[in-house]
Amino acid sequence: MLRRNFLNLCRAAGLGLAAPIGMDSILRGDEAKKAETAGYPGPYYVVFNASGGWDTTYLMDPKGVEGINRLYQQGEILTAGSHRFAPTANHIEKGMSNENFFAKYGNELRTLNGLDLSVNNHTPCARYMATGKLDSTNFPTFPALVAACHGADAPLAFLTFGNYSATGNLVPMSRVPYLQSLNLLAKADFVEGNERAPYHDPFVSDRIEKALQEQFDARVSSIRLPRVERSQSMLYSAQVNSKALQRVVPFIPKQQAGERLAQQADIALASFKAGVCISANLSIGQFDSHNNNDTDQMKLIPEFLAGIDYVLKRAADLQIREKLVVVIQSEMGRTPTYNNGNGKDHWSINSIMFLGPGIGGNRVIGATDEKQQLTPVDAKTLTTNDQAGVRIRPEHIHDALRRLAGIAEHPFSKQFPLLVPDGEGLSELWAG
Amino acid sequence: MTAQILGAVFCLIFVADTITAQQTSAQQISAQSIPGCLFEDRLFEDEVWAKVGERTCLRCHNEKGEAAESAFRLLKPDSIGSSDRTWLARNKTAFEVMAKSMEGDESRLLLKASGKLDHGGGEVLKADSTGLKILQRFVRRLNGQDAEQAVDDVYSASEAAAFFKGLTMLSPNQRLRRITLSLAGRLPTTAELDEVRQNGDAAVAAILERVFQEDAFYERLKEGFNDIFLTVGIEDNAETLLSYHHFEKTRLWYQHWDFSNLPEAERERAGWKLADVYRDALLQEPLRMIEYIVRNNRPFTEIATADYIMVSPHTARGYGIYDSIKDQFKNPADPFEYIPAKLSALTGRDGKTQESATGLYPHAGFLSMFHYLRRYPSTETNRNRLRARMFYQHFLGIDIMQLAPRSTDASAVAAKYEIPTMQAPDCVVCHRTIDPVSSIFQDFDFEGHVIPRKDGWYKDMFQAGFDGEDMPPSERWRAPQWLAERTVKDPRFAVAMVEHVYYILFGRKTLQSPDDIDDPLFAARRRAYLAQRKLIESTAREFAASGFNLKTVFRSLIASYCYRIDGLQAVAMNPDRAAELDDIGIVRLLSPEQLERKLKAIFGKEWGRLNGETKILYGGIDSVSITERNSDPSGAMGAIQGILANDVACYHVARDFRRETPERLLFSTIEPSVVPGDDMSNQRIRQTIVSLYQRLLGQELASDDPEIERTYLLFTGILSDANAQGRFEPRESYFCGGREEFRTEDPLYTIRAWRGVVTYLLRQHAFLYE
Repeated sequence: MLRRNFLNLCRAAGLGLAAPIGMDSILRGDEAKKAETAGYPGPYYVVFNASGGWDTTYLMDPKGVEGINRLYQQGEILTAGSHRFAPTANHIEKGMSNENFFAKYGNELRTLNGLDLSVNNHTPCARYMATGKLDSTNFPTFPALVAACHGADAPLAFLTFGNYSATGNLVPMSRVPYLQSLNLLAKADFVEGNERAPYHDPFVSDRIEKALQEQFDARVSSIRLPRVERSQSMLYSAQVNSKALQRVVPFIPKQQAGERLAQQADIALASFKAGVCISANLSIGQFDSHNNNDTDQMKLIPEFLAGIDYVLKRAADLQIREKLVVVIQSEMGRTPTYNNGNGKDHWSINSIMFLGPGIGGNRVIGATDEKQQLTPVDAKTLTTNDQAGVRIRPEHIHDALRRLAGIAEHPFSKQFPLLVPDGEGLSELWAG
Repeated sequence: MTAQILGAVFCLIFVADTITAQQTSAQQISAQSIPGCLFEDRLFEDEVWAKVGERTCLRCHNEKGEAAESAFRLLKPDSIGSSDRTWLARNKTAFEVMAKSMEGDESRLLLKASGKLDHGGGEVLKADSTGLKILQRFVRRLNGQDAEQAVDDVYSASEAAAFFKGLTMLSPNQRLRRITLSLAGRLPTTAELDEVRQNGDAAVAAILERVFQEDAFYERLKEGFNDIFLTVGIEDNAETLLSYHHFEKTRLWYQHWDFSNLPEAERERAGWKLADVYRDALLQEPLRMIEYIVRNNRPFTEIATADYIMVSPHTARGYGIYDSIKDQFKNPADPFEYIPAKLSALTGRDGKTQESATGLYPHAGFLSMFHYLRRYPSTETNRNRLRARMFYQHFLGIDIMQLAPRSTDASAVAAKYEIPTMQAPDCVVCHRTIDPVSSIFQDFDFEGHVIPRKDGWYKDMFQAGFDGEDMPPSERWRAPQWLAERTVKDPRFAVAMVEHVYYILFGRKTLQSPDDIDDPLFAARRRAYLAQRKLIESTAREFAASGFNLKTVFRSLIASYCYRIDGLQAVAMNPDRAAELDDIGIVRLLSPEQLERKLKAIFGKEWGRLNGETKILYGGIDSVSITERNSDPSGAMGAIQGILANDVACYHVARDFRRETPERLLFSTIEPSVVPGDDMSNQRIRQTIVSLYQRLLGQELASDDPEIERTYLLFTGILSDANAQGRFEPRESYFCGGREEFRTEDPLYTIRAWRGVVTYLLRQHAFLYE
């Protein structure tokens, strides 16, 4: 059966699922086989998440007025190209300061301030930021969607280390908690991963795989319950595609990194490089600074930025830096005022940053005022417009992300429409 | 209530005084005027009601909603399973009255929905929206202007009744295997199979009662409920569940344990072990309460109302009550023997004893249990709202955060009002429900200890209460009990408990009402939802009628079509039917724990590797940060399935052949000397494959079934390939042939070929899924 027919059949049955890699090789001949050997070629998508709600005024949307920030005043705000940012170098003990981050990446970085979440609770905000849809629990997150559209047949198509990770039933999510787990998974056919001790003689393994494939092929035309059909396809894909994990082995660092994001990044980057992964959620928590906001944020933001820096440097080492699309986000902002515990509570106005291929850098879109209220934006020109602008919300961002990733017209995307009103699409969001 | 919580921003609020006097409200329509049982207006039921009325209007226009004072007041369904559909007829009349009421040339129904005429809920249906078009069509039809009406508007009872048509069911034998594996972690015994052969479903029901007596059932029960409550997910040492303030002198009792009978070199290690066992025993207490209630056929309402906790000898020492109850233990040396016990009112380090009219700690099942309150901690700004949220989710089946209402400008609202949660309508709609329950827990600190806030409870939030009823101040000392008493009387409690059992049996949550009214398959998805709701609600009624015996829920769901459906008759499916059946059938990926139990049931030994890191890799949970199981296998999980199949076959095949023939679990009808060739040998090989399918996969196939044929060809193909090598090692590999324990000769390669067959079978859907 042709792959396309197979997928159409699945879709007709309302199934979002992966086709096994093996089918490609059968159907597209040697050329396809070569491409498969290299795996998914990119671009790769990384969503960095500051879980709990970051204080945007200590990062990319500085204020220094109205008592919003106790660590600096308006006059101390720094700039790097078009970016304005809070000074943090003198307030942090370790990690990466804003000064260093914006100096290093400002030219590539696109920032959007004044993102309206409409609500201010963790769960709905996290869901909204991750999917672009507030009032549905069925929508896939962007990394899950892009993985499904670009390569659900990759064995670790969508890796997640936290954050809201719904898949819309389009692609399985993978959790790989430790780097060395990859070694274990990559050598499934050998006793305790020892390549000199295969479980079966090669011809036995071949026979087993062939029998499984024959069984799968025989079932395609049979009448089954939708859940049975979907799960059998998922299972077969998972097992066949797992063989491709062997490609990860050369890229697994010998030592595990010490920092939280770096540990996650090593797993994701090795998987990207091996072509077995399309997207990853990298996440660190504890940003929910209801108490001692400044202390917490000055510890966590530098750790977060250092993690991003690590990924970009390591991606350069692996020569996939130019293929990395990076989204930097948190599920909410924090209030413009301090509470009695020197903390800040939830705030529904947020910011987000991007960099990567197709994204013009050194630009800031949108704004908030001195009370941290957002200023609407003209959807076409992307300039602020109090009277006729729109309140940019996550659906606008996701609509643009889908276009950036070339999946806006994909049937999976159509299955989960964002319903951005006509004239509100941010068609120039990525322009240089 | 869900709608009540979620709907204010969207709701359709009619102001009472804008309705003219001669109009008739829904409440005034006689039930006899339109016999509910004969209701057959498909346009109204499937379109107006399903897509607009129930989803939008009812949120506020109900007895307790924001628009309760409106003349346009709608009725909630009595029950999905009820045949009395008077409520629907009344609602239709209310819609008709409003639709016929005109303001100029336009129907007030359409004007209100569009946000005009001072509609309190504002614009709930946008121009060009599907919802408004449905109402427009409804109005046109009422005015005799709709030519589309006719056949498709007429409700087809025969169509509705055909939901389960064309589906095949498990045989009693297969159902028995599903039950014993799923609930008791074992295969059916020969005697049980005989019993079922003779008495069919009646025997299955009788065996289920015996399964309820097995310890393994309670292991599964506890595991399932931990997936829901997650109470073992305490990150800190478990003894910190007991506050320093109240249990300072007892909670660390293990540090003073007398190990003088042990050599000095062993004492430190023994101390560590004792602490570990104690902590484990503490963590188990909530789930042990569930076991105690169900095992003893006590009302499951005790999960909220129990005036006791469960303690073991170890944990009783932590609470400081061991000496007073030690005689009640059958074996005081068993750290995991649990009995019910009551704590006295807690006395703190300052010598003050908590207020209590009874002199006892006011136990209220999970609601006053330190574990539950610690698992869902609070903060100075959260103010127990997480606890309230989890209360609604766990005890009433309502996920408050699932569909949060959108505010036009949440930041502006927050800035405009001094106390937004009490003053801003956008916020009040949820907080009026959440905050009274949050305030119930006001005497518990962030960590769940009974330590009231020094500055008193917050004044700037709704005070303690539930469902519109304020809690009298005199009840504060027993606030969780006050809440529990009302909770278990709420009809939603029984439904929520049924949904929990559904999750345990089916591995997924119940369906939610479809939310995309523009989906062409909306009607089909709604039919699926309603069919399942009918089961859930009828089971909830049985549950309540049984005195809340949770076993009733297991019995009812296991006896249902939904649990028994196995497949589909050979009929073509159109997209509507496919959507209806999308969630039908159990078809769940076995969890790491279930897979280990299944391996033990079949092979007599767990694999023992689906734990720790591998458990997480295989989609398991740690109850702390990873709390949802993977429902679909990733490539990583596919790799683990490969390792499992290889490794389990490697360990067991040669070993099984070493046993005396009658004692073998896998190969009791064949020897390694049998190779393909003559008919008898071929038949023996086929029969062995048939028996492997039966044991490993629970499938009873004929020896000429295509699946058996494929496996036969795998076996013979491996032997053929081996012989084609010219020469092969005449002995099974070191790792699979016994390692240091024994050596396995395999001169014909048959043992390795059978190992290939077992590997193949362990990678099957029928093995890895339930």
